[in-house]
Amino acid sequence: MSENLEQSFVAQLQANQNIIHKICRLYTAGEDAHKDLFQEITIQLWKAYPKFRGDSKFSTWTYRVALNTAITLYRKTKRTISTVDYESHQHFVKDVDYNYEEEEQIKLMYKAVYQLNDIEKALVFMYLEDKDYQEIAITLGISEVNARVKMNRIKGKLKKILNP
Amino acid sequence: MKELDLLKKDWKKNSDSFEQISEKEIYKMIHKKSSSIVKWILIISILEVSFWTITNYYSNIDDMIQKINHPEIILYMQVLMCFNYAVTLVFIYFFYKNYKTISTTVSTKLLMGSILRTRKTVQYYVWYNLGIVVVSCVVSFFIGYVYNPDMEFIRQKLAANGIAMLFSIGAFVLLTLILLGLFWCIYRLLYGTLLRRLYSNYKELKKIDF
Repeated sequence: MSENLEQSFVAQLQANQNIIHKICRLYTAGEDAHKDLFQEITIQLWKAYPKFRGDSKFSTWTYRVALNTAITLYRKTKRTISTVDYESHQHFVKDVDYNYEEEEQIKLMYKAVYQLNDIEKALVFMYLEDKDYQEIAITLGISEVNARVKMNRIKGKLKKILNP
Repeated sequence: MKELDLLKKDWKKNSDSFEQISEKEIYKMIHKKSSSIVKWILIISILEVSFWTITNYYSNIDDMIQKINHPEIILYMQVLMCFNYAVTLVFIYFFYKNYKTISTTVSTKLLMGSILRTRKTVQYYVWYNLGIVVVSCVVSFFIGYVYNPDMEFIRQKLAANGIAMLFSIGAFVLLTLILLGLFWCIYRLLYGTLLRRLYSNYKELKKIDF
């Protein structure tokens, strides 16, 4: 592969790396696993890059490859994902204004989201990223209606986890 | 849902608070080896195909056939060999074709489907080979029994004793079952660990779209 291709890829990825970080944050626990998944996603993106023709935005394309890698290709080394606590992600969080009650609620929400399965996490992730249902449906390969129904069910599930 | 909106707010607030990775580090990363599930499947598949192809190659029963001295059996064996090579080639073609369709740029469901299909191809090949093993055991048992001059003594004994006959057939069936069971266990172990998550995610996706 040519040097130019490599250069343009690295530059674009560097600019869009937060997408990958966010996925790693949702699918891994701890710094090592985060880095590990980040690397695997980067490798998969690079492998798929020659086929990227620019008919969609680099970021849209990154979402898809990164999610596919996290859900399907990545082999977790440890299976402790569902018991992750919010504290292990604290090092990513900067405090701006502190509201105790809100902060508590957010903590509980993160905990609840970690208890979801891989597919549910993907839906929540795209919801948090303001993706519309059409894009969610296309990314996962399900119908738009079913994506909507599933998202509603997930909301119900989260509520149940919060108020058992 | 109020809490989800709260989470979204926090999510957005923190979305650029990650430690940034430099271009230099990304350069390093793209030259590292992937450890994805597809790579493992490819490695295991190649091992399986080589194992069975080598097994086929070495399990020749020429000596026995020479002894029997029936040219029509030699012809059958040659036809079977050719058939076997053809099947192997067809299989390799399908495996390669399925492997090529694995692409991270398609939807999650399609990606999972193509991985599982690729995996299935190899599985079919292994079952086919197990079938061949069983069939050739039966056939050589039969040929040996009927044609092999060394078996004359045993043949007479077995013919005279119905229980011994039943016993030897029973032992043969048992052996076959143990062999099949063993492979089934290996499969469960190997792919249970490798594909458990993929299967459950695939099921989940299919369930949504039902």
